[in-house]
Amino acid sequence: MKKVIILTVSVLLLTACSTQQALYSWGNYENASYNYLKNGDELSTQELIKTYQAIIDKQKGKRGAVPPGIYADYGFILLQANRTEEGKAMLLKEITLYPESKVFIERILKMTEK
Amino acid sequence: MKKPIILLVLIATLLTGCSTMMSVIPKSEAYKGMYAEKPLSILLMPPINKSTAVDAKEYFHSTLNVPLANAGYYVIPTFLSMEILKRESAYDAELFLDAPLNKFGEVFGADVALFTIIHKWDKTYGMVYVDAEYIIKSVKTNEILYARRGQINYNTTVQSNVSGGGIAGALISVAVSVAATAANTAATKYVDVARIANAYTFKDLPVGAYGLYNPEEPNEMAGLKEFVVTLNSQYRTY
Repeated sequence: MKKVIILTVSVLLLTACSTQQALYSWGNYENASYNYLKNGDELSTQELIKTYQAIIDKQKGKRGAVPPGIYADYGFILLQANRTEEGKAMLLKEITLYPESKVFIERILKMTEK
Repeated sequence: MKKPIILLVLIATLLTGCSTMMSVIPKSEAYKGMYAEKPLSILLMPPINKSTAVDAKEYFHSTLNVPLANAGYYVIPTFLSMEILKRESAYDAELFLDAPLNKFGEVFGADVALFTIIHKWDKTYGMVYVDAEYIIKSVKTNEILYARRGQINYNTTVQSNVSGGGIAGALISVAVSVAATAANTAATKYVDVARIANAYTFKDLPVGAYGLYNPEEPNEMAGLKEFVVTLNSQYRTY
């Protein structure tokens, strides 16, 4: 009986500090992001693209929304890969979801027109 | 006689595992400017690397936006802003530590800028000793709204899916094995060090506009402005 109590108390304490759900889910974001920053080669770019797609398609965060900057950075990577139209579409999605990004993103969109 | 003691020790161990050393200053006072300005958008300045580890800058750069976004802030797209900073010859954040920041507000729509200074990143067998400083400054007033500096001693030998014995160990192992999936290459190990250092530091950051509003938050105690902590991959904020 005592053991059960100890176990219950322990589990309760552990859950108290470990089960809060985060606002967003990020998948492998940090590692993919590091590899891209460090190497910037084809392999790390593809890995990053896959990570962005997973964050967008399989979002499990509390808000149920794509995290800040994800559409925009994904769009930027697509622009770099000369996938211009897809890239611009992603940038526009960032503005729709996060209107506070408008000033900056519109500046980028203008740059792509040149 | 023995059992209550074991129980107490167990509870104490578990509690220390998830609590942070707190100051005696409420957040409303420690981070007065954050509550007054209620910043929405954060611009990540490229980390300033004063350590001898060349990769430390990237370890931090790739792990800073997650805790800030999870705290409810709009983090200005990392790679896009990095590209523009490079083009505008503004990639060296040290130049702006004491300079007016209003230009960053105009170009990026930022309310605040986060400066990160990596003072130390020393590796010895099984340990990484990090000394990192985090400063959030208002781009409007140039005031420091949030600043913490931590000596983070990170034990790299503790794996996130295996833990050290006992009931507590077994329980922790069950709790974290779900989250532990990353391959244990050297790079991911060090990305983890930065990730956890950032997560630990920003745990006391006032919640941003997209976060869960808690009217009691200003009365909670702020973390210590300067802290020393020993962490490993089992540290979880969520």
